[in-house]
Amino acid sequence: MSDLLALEGIAAGYGSIQALSGVSLRVTTGTIVALLGSNGAGKTTTLNTISRVVPLTGGRILFDGEPIHELPSSRVVMRGISQVPEGREIFARMSVEENLVIGAHVRRDRAGIAADLERVCDYFPVLKSRFRQMAGTLSGGEQQMLLIARALMARPRILLLDEPSLGLSPIMVQQIFKIIRRLNEDGLTVLLVEQNARLALAVSQYAYVMENGEIRFEGRSADLVKDDGLRRTYLGV
Amino acid sequence: MTWELFLLFFQQSLMSGLVTGSIYALLALAMVMIFNTTDVPNFGQGEIFMVASYIALVLLVFASVPYLVMIPLTLAAVFFGGAIFQRLVLKRVALARGASVNLVIATLGLSYFLKGVMRQTGIAEVPRSFPALFPTDSVSIGMATATVQDFAILGLALAAMAAFFLFFHFTRTGRAMRAVGMNPRAAILVGVDIERMRWLVWGLSSAIAALAGILISPKLLMTADMGIVVILGFAAAIVGGFTSLPGAVVGGFVIGIVENMVGLFVSSKAIVVAPFLAIMLVLLLRPQGLLGGKATAKKV
Repeated sequence: MSDLLALEGIAAGYGSIQALSGVSLRVTTGTIVALLGSNGAGKTTTLNTISRVVPLTGGRILFDGEPIHELPSSRVVMRGISQVPEGREIFARMSVEENLVIGAHVRRDRAGIAADLERVCDYFPVLKSRFRQMAGTLSGGEQQMLLIARALMARPRILLLDEPSLGLSPIMVQQIFKIIRRLNEDGLTVLLVEQNARLALAVSQYAYVMENGEIRFEGRSADLVKDDGLRRTYLGV
Repeated sequence: MTWELFLLFFQQSLMSGLVTGSIYALLALAMVMIFNTTDVPNFGQGEIFMVASYIALVLLVFASVPYLVMIPLTLAAVFFGGAIFQRLVLKRVALARGASVNLVIATLGLSYFLKGVMRQTGIAEVPRSFPALFPTDSVSIGMATATVQDFAILGLALAAMAAFFLFFHFTRTGRAMRAVGMNPRAAILVGVDIERMRWLVWGLSSAIAALAGILISPKLLMTADMGIVVILGFAAAIVGGFTSLPGAVVGGFVIGIVENMVGLFVSSKAIVVAPFLAIMLVLLLRPQGLLGGKATAKKV
């Protein structure tokens, strides 16, 4: 299997603050890779450099072997990289349906978009029943589902998931992770940022651990789970 | 006041209010669009409206261009003018120092620039009147009187609003514009080219102001200061909540009708203060505006 996404020594900063230095990671096609670490370690910034929302100050990003670190953000989405942002970044005063349709903004194939509306509602049946409702009136869990569904509407080849469990009830978290696994089984590659390390290691095949804007550890998720020292020091589980 | 007179005044102010209100509604719509996508109240809008009216006048009277060519020509010229201002000036100001005060100053600069240029041309040296686009025969509805031109203004303004509503809700670009206004970060992440949306919105908004200018100019005396009318568009936008497009439309009609009612029931001298009274009432009783939704923080 080849690398779908490769970060090669990327650096980024906000003003004088160095947020990322020399971050390298690979995501193999068809896998779920977890990016772990505490708050402020640079996980979200890493995703945002891939989405081209935060500019790079060094390094390269390759997607399917081609450099994407100089493309505008809209092109990155067009190539097949969709980010599911942390928090509730929905379009609150649009209907659920409109939120989904706008997820397909980079596409022009009307028939395909209509078919995908059905397809994403297969994964999230609750959205189907809320189609006409304003997105702002959904519960936290439903909004998270809407965010994932919206990202799927762009027909991504890789999904960048930022803290999908944040602020959700344990039952809802389980449900969301079940769907993430199902999406992966259906062929979607996932880069998952999570603070809940136990959950992330359980669902992923490979994992990276970040601290202070650098990658500290990497390894197969199954191995990292067993590493007691690592677990206690960095993962808090 | 007799009941008869009350009814007459009521109906007449409603009629006249709908006509002028439709213009305020267009101006407020243009204002809100820009505020939503580029975070700046456009203080240059009055002068865009003024310059557009003069472009229309020059085409029509001096160049003898027929109406049906003059209107699209004016709208297109003003569209590109607005778009160019956003790309050339506003975008750079935002990049250099994103504070919104600087953006506001930039739009004030646009206002003075356009007024200055207009004065330089000499066309605005004497007050002029714009030839009527429609017959000015009067028509009675109930007890109120209006002209055919009034109905044409109201009808065309409503048609333009309907067209914009359809555009914003049922086209890919219109939806993207609303998305940028609602949540720019999320819009970027779904692949909306936010910079493109910004200049498009400036162009579109300027074209709406131009349309308002073309429609209302026959009823005004044209001077370089005619852009002051936009203050009422501002008032309408505030009454409507400043971020809501339907609110802007409702606000426009509210301001138009209130203005005319005060003119008839109180005194024509009180007209000037009426819109501000309306703003203050709205700000005190319903700070988020009539259709501004819940008072929630937009920025985090």
